[in-house]
Amino acid sequence: MNIGYAQLVYLFGTLFCVMGILLSIRTARMRFGKLNNEPSVSFWITRLPAESAAKLVAFASLVVMPAGALFIANYHTFEGVHEVSGCASCHVMRPMVNDMMDPQSGTLAARHYKNKWIAENQCYHCHSDYGFSGNMEAKLTGFRHLARYTTHTYKEPIMARVRFNNQNCLNCHKNTPKFQVVQSHHTAAGRLASNQMICLNCHGQAHPSSLQRTPGSADYARLMEPMQ
Amino acid sequence: MRLLHWECWCAIIAFLMTLAFVLFPGPYEMAVFTFLAQPLFAFAAISYLVKVLRDLRERKVM
Repeated sequence: MNIGYAQLVYLFGTLFCVMGILLSIRTARMRFGKLNNEPSVSFWITRLPAESAAKLVAFASLVVMPAGALFIANYHTFEGVHEVSGCASCHVMRPMVNDMMDPQSGTLAARHYKNKWIAENQCYHCHSDYGFSGNMEAKLTGFRHLARYTTHTYKEPIMARVRFNNQNCLNCHKNTPKFQVVQSHHTAAGRLASNQMICLNCHGQAHPSSLQRTPGSADYARLMEPMQ
Repeated sequence: MRLLHWECWCAIIAFLMTLAFVLFPGPYEMAVFTFLAQPLFAFAAISYLVKVLRDLRERKVM
């Protein structure tokens, strides 16, 4: 049986949350001052005074279980953004995903996808600033995107605030024979490394243009179709 | 030890939000978990620890 990260997240996430809820209900009903005369409680291999047992349950419900649930849910957050479906779940991302999966499209993302240059998690491979391995700035940007999307405080077409980091391309392409044989890559190596010049200057646009993604444009309805 | 009513109710609400995100992941569930559930967990844990410290001081353990 092949168990993936999603099944583990469902299993342990549900376990921590359900246990946490049950223990929290028990702790909420506890009268700590009136436990002195209560009989001792069996705790696996030992017996504990009722008050000590109640304090252990309180610690589990307010510290241990929340820590477990937070770890699982945050892992879910950072691992979930690796998948293309995770990106497509926000409708502002649909034009990028639909275009990438369109065999007729000639954008850089579509060419990578249809030629299977990237086997899976295609969005994340080129935008790997997100996730556990990304830097703090990228994570804060992700939280800002989440807040703006869920509060509808954004305008279409969305615009990138930051300059795309060439390192995301160079992670795969640098030092390959096809990359090395192009003289301009060596000529512009310094400017590429410092992001003064971006790969897209020569290699075409990565995604549909902002004009195509503007509501009311000729391509907008096609690009916004729900993902199959 | 003092009563832990508010802390527990905060934790229960946060657990429910977290469970919703774990089982039905989506942008809105993620936002609820990120911006509501996590601060609720933090509030519950900090308030609990403050009460534990006060309790220990009253008993002159600390």
